[in-house]
Amino acid sequence: MGTASRISPVTGHYVTIDVEDVQYKVFYLENGQGQPLVCQHTAGCHNHQWRGLLEDEEITANHRVIAYDLARHGKSDPPLNKEWWKEEYKLTADHYVAFITAFCDALGLEDPIFMGSSFGGNVALQLALRHPDRFKAVIPVEGADYSPGFYLDWWQHPHANAAQVCASGVWDLMAPQSPDADRWATWFYYSQGSEAFKGDLYFYSVDHDLRGRLGEIDGERCPVVMLTGEYDYLTTPADGARTAEQIRGAEFIEMKEIGHFPMSENYPRFAGYLKQALRRIEERTAS
Amino acid sequence: MTTATTQGPAEEFRRLSDGDAELRAHGAYFSCTYLLDMERHAFLVRMHRGRVEDLVVDPEPLTAYDFAIRAGAETWREFCTPVPKPMYHGIWAASFQRDMRLEGDLLVLMQNLRCLTRQLELLRLTGPLG
Repeated sequence: MGTASRISPVTGHYVTIDVEDVQYKVFYLENGQGQPLVCQHTAGCHNHQWRGLLEDEEITANHRVIAYDLARHGKSDPPLNKEWWKEEYKLTADHYVAFITAFCDALGLEDPIFMGSSFGGNVALQLALRHPDRFKAVIPVEGADYSPGFYLDWWQHPHANAAQVCASGVWDLMAPQSPDADRWATWFYYSQGSEAFKGDLYFYSVDHDLRGRLGEIDGERCPVVMLTGEYDYLTTPADGARTAEQIRGAEFIEMKEIGHFPMSENYPRFAGYLKQALRRIEERTAS
Repeated sequence: MTTATTQGPAEEFRRLSDGDAELRAHGAYFSCTYLLDMERHAFLVRMHRGRVEDLVVDPEPLTAYDFAIRAGAETWREFCTPVPKPMYHGIWAASFQRDMRLEGDLLVLMQNLRCLTRQLELLRLTGPLG
């Protein structure tokens, strides 16, 4: 085997975008061609969570998989033209939605499918509500109408090691069946993102609240296929099912023996469910 | 009262903990005292630099500790199995979704969260301590 055969087909790029008059240089990984599939990592993390999907030849054969780092995560810096260090970072639904649509516009993506996990799952619901014509479909993974309880001071307590508190604080969100190496890779990513984690969770547990508004989402115009792992104690399968039931045309799939970071903690298991979701979207959007 | 049935698993927990590769690698600052309240019996675990200095079964009423992890016997029985069922698979999961309670000085718990999380997973091998 030569060296060249070990070079991944996944490539990295930067794109500069403007969101609400603020400039961001956004890093994204991509591979494949065809239907764009835009992927959002979980709170306080980065796009390596999608490493398995990015190299899944069955999916990249007909999907252009794009996994970006939200600003302040991974290789995407904080705002370029703003004194961000003078403000507390608190992600809002308005900004998050504007950021994602600006990113998709900058790449000229037509009818992308949007998939996100955890706070990415929640924003997928926001996108379906606010921009049903901009996205072909959304796949909220570990999402719900409302997910309180994780906007905690512990993530940034100056007397504790924030990197370890964030990383070990989300350990239980993964299933005991998931391979050690993948759970520890996910733990490692979490040790890198503590400074953004709490601000992300402001969106996840506070600003995102679609209780009473799910009826406004048109899941016929923008299909919604929700996936939730049975070991997710934050947005449980019951939360996912309850949310899907209130969205016209939405579907819900419970994933066995997996938790809150399915694409990262056990991609082979997640892949089966994801392919099922993609097939459903294809069937429903074929014209 | 300490009984033979509680001493066996507790001693096994100490043996596994002191020999655990992760705790040996990362436990240099793992020093704290905590209580596992398993309803029928309570266990005081006194850690010093990653090793179990004391493991006291049913400590006397005024024994001091930094924090306590309390739950009913049924929750601990599910928690302490090789592959716990959903919502029994960790102290966060069982606190959010079951009857587990984290009490006391939680800052000390957070300061030691990495090693504590690993150490409590050893209960999957010992079963409930009593």
